[in-house]
Amino acid sequence: MNLTPDQIIIFEVWGLPINATLVFTWVVMALLVAASMVITRNLRPDVPPNRWRTMLEVIVQGIQAQIEEIADGPSRHLLYFAGTLFLFVAVSNLLLVVPGFEPPTSSLSTTTALAICVLIAVPMFGVSSRGLGGYLKTYLEPTFIMLPFNIISEFSRGISLAIRLYGNIMSGAVIAAILLTVAPFFFPVVMDVLGLLTGMIQAYIFAILATVYIAGATAPSPQSSTEKDIQQ
Amino acid sequence: MSIDWITVTAQIANFLVLVWLLKRFLYRPILGGIDAREAEISNRMQDAVTARDKAEAIEETYRDKVQALHVAQAEMTETIRQKAEQQRDVLLADAHAQMAVEQANWQAYLDGETRKYTAKMHGAGAGALLSLTRKALIDLADETLEAQMIRHLIQKIKPLAPKLNNASVQTATAVVTSHAALTDAVQNAVRSELQTEFPKVSVRFNTEALQAPGLVLRLDGVQVAWTVDTYIDGLEAMIADQLAKGPEMRAQSNGT
Repeated sequence: MNLTPDQIIIFEVWGLPINATLVFTWVVMALLVAASMVITRNLRPDVPPNRWRTMLEVIVQGIQAQIEEIADGPSRHLLYFAGTLFLFVAVSNLLLVVPGFEPPTSSLSTTTALAICVLIAVPMFGVSSRGLGGYLKTYLEPTFIMLPFNIISEFSRGISLAIRLYGNIMSGAVIAAILLTVAPFFFPVVMDVLGLLTGMIQAYIFAILATVYIAGATAPSPQSSTEKDIQQ
Repeated sequence: MSIDWITVTAQIANFLVLVWLLKRFLYRPILGGIDAREAEISNRMQDAVTARDKAEAIEETYRDKVQALHVAQAEMTETIRQKAEQQRDVLLADAHAQMAVEQANWQAYLDGETRKYTAKMHGAGAGALLSLTRKALIDLADETLEAQMIRHLIQKIKPLAPKLNNASVQTATAVVTSHAALTDAVQNAVRSELQTEFPKVSVRFNTEALQAPGLVLRLDGVQVAWTVDTYIDGLEAMIADQLAKGPEMRAQSNGT
């Protein structure tokens, strides 16, 4: 029994092993992009949207609304990043019910990669929002003594993101596999249904946490906002 | 559980590519479509607001025109009513005047007819009275009417005799005027009766068409007469009374 699809080598390209994680990631990517291309082609403002386009609009606007609730106002770049995180994780987890499909999110490499992306995105959004000095200054708040703790906190957030997602999805797949051997019919179905729910919740949690981290980095600090209020 | 860093690197690249692809094929078209649709809806709303404002302006203009028309209509109605009243007054005055003229004409016609009828009745009554009187006198007293008339005139002139019995009267000419020419016998009878009272008076007979039947005696500025007019006047009064009662009697007969 493989605990991660990284161990499943599908083929090799120039000596590089292409494992199931990458292949199924491309499948998810292809599904998302193909569905987007099919649904969003020939858009006309004077034509009422069909049900598929309406579904996409509901999803995108739902993500945007969540971001606007967390962040200080709408941000297209944050939508692109957090929305892609949510859609990728959610579709990967939903495809868990497809026989033979190994969710890329059940690979620690994938969740680590996503966590690294979040770790990189947080300072990038922070620097673009506050400037380099303003962002680095947040590591010294409330006092410079907190610098090592803030750095540890930054990395621990990425690690927790990666481990949480990997653990939940991998455990669901492992539990389903174990139950399949114990009770071949009923329990796997229940666990798969539960896995769908868990997968959606994990996708939501992952995207929301990423958004919260980025919003925390981009939001003005209470001290600076207080200084601005005093200056005004 | 291990981390394959090649896979991690590839997944980071995959994720970045996915972000770009979804940005290109999902977010931009969807958000652009939403923005375009919102802009379209906003434009339509703006057009609707503009159309509504325009319609309200037109409605206001229409209401002003209707109000002006109502005012003009009221003024025109008042003017027409005043003109109609003036015209009615003029027409009523004309009608009253015309009616008064026609009534006067009709009254004149009626008066003329009444006069004609009365004159006709007067003449007929006078003739009938004379005929009847003459016939009655002949039948009852074997007397002519003219002799009786001259005798009556003499009786009337007798109280004046003291004034008339002077020399000038005795030699004067008595003029006897009648409606129609008297026969010789009648003239002789009249002359005989008159000369009985005034022996030296000469008698001359004249006819006067306008005079009523009867005799008029003129003697030295004194005039006595007996005509049927005095009798006929009573008859005329009776006829006028009957003519006046005629419409009331017709109304009473129609009512019954």
